[in-house]
Amino acid sequence: MQISTRLAGEATVVDVQGDIDLYNSPEVRKVLIGLLREKRAPRVVVNLKGVKYIDSSGVASLVEGLKVSRDLQSRLILYGLSPAAREVLELTRLIRVFEVYENEDEALRAAR
Amino acid sequence: MRLELPTDPQLLCIARCAVDEVARLVGFSDDESYTINLALGEAMTNIIRHAYDGRQDRAFQLICRRLPGGLEFLLVDQGREADQAQFRSRPLGELRTGGFGTHIIAQVMDDVRYERRQERNWLRMVKLRGRKNPPISA
Repeated sequence: MQISTRLAGEATVVDVQGDIDLYNSPEVRKVLIGLLREKRAPRVVVNLKGVKYIDSSGVASLVEGLKVSRDLQSRLILYGLSPAAREVLELTRLIRVFEVYENEDEALRAAR
Repeated sequence: MRLELPTDPQLLCIARCAVDEVARLVGFSDDESYTINLALGEAMTNIIRHAYDGRQDRAFQLICRRLPGGLEFLLVDQGREADQAQFRSRPLGELRTGGFGTHIIAQVMDDVRYERRQERNWLRMVKLRGRKNPPISA
């Protein structure tokens, strides 16, 4: 799995490529929490276009990020969910809890 | 198919690749293969996390058998006996960071049975073609 960040206006985009499972979900968690807590990023937009497999530990990392964002009154937004990633969020009934958009343009517009 | 796997999370993808291929070989759709992999991944993660408390120097077995109309999966480990209270489904849709794996397994698989036998944990899961989960929309 590869994870990188970039700025897009006032938002920080986190690009994730590869599978998110027990092995590398801690890295996802670390990046999200670091951006929110240490860098105080007001808007974090997670690009999941390149993620074809995500398990419950990956979902847990996103949930932790969302909880921290709410505590800090920041925002965490997801976009580019593959059908498979969407399935996991639906199976865990968390699809309604996250802000989810189809593409980066929509996500960044919503993040303004 | 019978695999003996170390409890190293980095190697779970190997099992997933193998299961994916087997599922397609016996005629599961792409969507079904993905959900099978998801459930197997959750079960294997539970072995590493709970049966072996995160230790990476242990091993478990994954046995996959063809059934008429589907596949049977057996996961066998020598770790701690599972606390069956953990198998109870938890409220979903809440912002929690755990407890989803068991639910996912139950949602995906058509039959799930656990037993403790000869100081081993045996988890048997069956998935039949064309049942339970509606296909993932494209």
